Amino acid sequence: MDYAIQVTNLKKTYKVKQKEKGLIGSMKSFIHPMYKEIDAVDNISFSVTPGEVIAFLGPNGAGKSTTIKMLTGILYPNQGYCKVWGLDPSKHRKKLAYHIGTVFGQKEQLWMHLTPYDNFQFFAAVYDMKKEEANQRIQELIEVFELEEFVNTPVRNLSLGQRIRCEIVTSLIHHPDILFLDEPTIGLDPVVKENIRSLIKKMNKEFHTTIFLTSHDIGDIEKLCKRIIIVNHGKIVLDDSMEEIKYHYLHKKILEVKLKEEMELSHIPGVTVIKSKGANLKLELDTNVTTVGEVMNQIDTNNLIDINISNIPLEQIITQIYKRGDES
Amino acid sequence: MLTAAKNQLRVSALSIKYNLMREMTNHASFIISVIFMMLNNATFIIQWIILFSIRSDFGGYRMKQVMLLWAIACSSYGIAHILFNKAFTISDSIMKGQLDSFLVQPKNVLISLITSETNTSSIGDLLYGIVVVLIVCPEKIGIYFLFSIFSAISFTAIAIQFGSFAFWIVRSDVIADYVISSMIHFSTYPADGIFKGVTKLILYTIVPVEFVNYMPLRLILHFNFEEFLYVLLFSVGITTIAIVTFYRGLRHYSSTNLMCGRIN
Amino acid sequence: MRKYWFIFKTTVMESIQYILNTIIGFFTYFIVTFVFFQLWVYIYSDGQNTIAGYGLKQMVWYVMLTELMWFVNSNHTLLSQMSNDIRSGGIAYGINKPYHYLLYCVAKHFGDIAVRFVIYLVLGVLLGILFVGPLDNFCLWQLPFVSITFILGMTLNALIRMLINILCFWMEDAKPIQWIYDKFIIVIGTTFPIEIFPRWAQGALRFSPIFVITYGPVKLIIDFSFPLLFQVLAAQLAYLVSVALIMYFLYQKGVKRLNVNGG
Repeated sequence: MDYAIQVTNLKKTYKVKQKEKGLIGSMKSFIHPMYKEIDAVDNISFSVTPGEVIAFLGPNGAGKSTTIKMLTGILYPNQGYCKVWGLDPSKHRKKLAYHIGTVFGQKEQLWMHLTPYDNFQFFAAVYDMKKEEANQRIQELIEVFELEEFVNTPVRNLSLGQRIRCEIVTSLIHHPDILFLDEPTIGLDPVVKENIRSLIKKMNKEFHTTIFLTSHDIGDIEKLCKRIIIVNHGKIVLDDSMEEIKYHYLHKKILEVKLKEEMELSHIPGVTVIKSKGANLKLELDTNVTTVGEVMNQIDTNNLIDINISNIPLEQIITQIYKRGDES
Repeated sequence: MLTAAKNQLRVSALSIKYNLMREMTNHASFIISVIFMMLNNATFIIQWIILFSIRSDFGGYRMKQVMLLWAIACSSYGIAHILFNKAFTISDSIMKGQLDSFLVQPKNVLISLITSETNTSSIGDLLYGIVVVLIVCPEKIGIYFLFSIFSAISFTAIAIQFGSFAFWIVRSDVIADYVISSMIHFSTYPADGIFKGVTKLILYTIVPVEFVNYMPLRLILHFNFEEFLYVLLFSVGITTIAIVTFYRGLRHYSSTNLMCGRIN
Repeated sequence: MRKYWFIFKTTVMESIQYILNTIIGFFTYFIVTFVFFQLWVYIYSDGQNTIAGYGLKQMVWYVMLTELMWFVNSNHTLLSQMSNDIRSGGIAYGINKPYHYLLYCVAKHFGDIAVRFVIYLVLGVLLGILFVGPLDNFCLWQLPFVSITFILGMTLNALIRMLINILCFWMEDAKPIQWIYDKFIIVIGTTFPIEIFPRWAQGALRFSPIFVITYGPVKLIIDFSFPLLFQVLAAQLAYLVSVALIMYFLYQKGVKRLNVNGG
């Protein structure tokens, strides 16, 4: 298998009914409905190799979910085609289902009144697994992901974090080759988030699962993904490795200095003062114009109490890329 | 092919079993809801006692026939709502994007969806039908069961057929509701005896209670091959049409994305 | 009194938003009355002019009007809210407000059903005229009188249902009683006029809530007479006073019980 996912000129449009406000508007649209076509996904192409962990990002309504849903066979594309594990999702939905696992953050698939163990058994049946095979797999999953503690407690009595863990583990029951995760950490506290991330990392390492992830949480992406695809308005605006992105967009550094006495630094080319409060300064410097060393030379070391140099947060980079997409 | 069907049945049976287990966790309320449903159906006997005191026959129907008509209506409604409850709110599932979780499973979407919920008070309907038949004509219980299953399948197929319009039309749940509630209403009155003209035509077409309720009733009383063929053909036909409509519609399925579009 | 008027008005405004759903819901009423219309046409088709003193037109109108009352008045949201409030102790929030909880419920109930009532009345009357034509004996001058009894009938129905819900102070669930009452009215009170029942039952029915809720007001519309008007009004007032008193008494007792239990 060369590619786990291969997408070529994929397109999905929605017809959205236009309605004027109020009762008269309702009547009007009832008699003579007006439709507007919206390109949710507009001609996108990309590919993913097996074993890759990829982040699929974009603001709300950018077409992330629509893309995932086309890749998993939920939605039919209007144009273009995609191959997931060598299969066309719109034609071989059932066949494909054996190869993929899905976790949709806010939609629960577990039976609340049953225990995780019974749920695993149910989904093993859904994927036509034999009894012994299922038992073996469940045992393996319980061990790898440390579920012993609550595997026999009804799902409704579990905490949100435990529930999501079970959701994800459930989606692994049939040894999927590709796992689609749509905002898996939404609404979770930091500790649980960390937990889920290590779970995802582990499955990529242990089972070599290809992971296709959407998230709003930059932490998820920074810690898990080696490659990022950013979509906006249904189009791909960026498709690059994490390192490349950092290299290209990280030509800016943040310099926070605490001085004994006030000092003027804004005259140095390539330096902008973001915040200045007495002797405390926050500077942004463009490494294409100047270097950290050059700026340091301008500061009298005797005057310096504390210094902190950092990269621009990934979050800001991504916001910038979104904005760039909006302008073009 | 055969193993696929077997596996599908296994999953659906599990799903129905788990649903029943959930509904029965509270034994008392489960039994009460079943008993009240039976009493509920029984109250209409009063209505018919009074109607028969005014007139002794309604287009060929006497008390026995009316009771049997009720029995068929109740048991087919009961079976359909115990096994395929989600078929009756299918437009809701389509509009709310609840098909997603079934679409990612290697199973038949339609069957998985409609068996994913059960309505336990319908057990009362089914039991009521059985009790009535055991009182009115116990010797017919076998054939009565057979036709109840036919009716339940046709009834479910009609719900799927009209509910599937939700793939194309936004508030088409109204249409499905109208048809279903009309069917329930007509199926407990001897409408084929008392209706005339255009209204009678409706009973064969849009609200096809003729094939789902009246013909099976006649067949239980006096079996004849011709009408049996009609019932069989109708069942197979409507089921096929409903399945085709559903899968045609599935191509237009928009999950929850259309909803988001509408808010903007 | 002004605040109850205000509660009523606000609820009406709220219900206007769901006007389309109300119109859609009218279909079920149409089906129910249509089946009865056909049934009665069939029954009268064997040459009888009157059954228990009713002609076809009167019989059809009887069912249409009683069903109308029933469809408009069944307000499950408020009633289940009331019993939930009582059982969960959420009623405590209703008690310490500067209004009487029961009057608040009445105002809210009528606010909820007002729009539906108007729509059903207009469409229902049109439907009746379409089915069998206008009533022969009905004159416009009777309207004020029949309106009073009609509205009193609806009020009484609402009050009796509230009374049943108040039983939730003592019972785990008042639904079975609610159900029996509902079935009694639907099966006996809406489908047939009292005269159709056997003589021994008629006497009892004339003292039952059916007389004041459905039969009385509707009979006045299809066949008005002053003696009957006074009879119905007297019975309605007697019911109103006794139901209101019992309800007030039970409510006071219930709230005290609630205080002892601490909600």
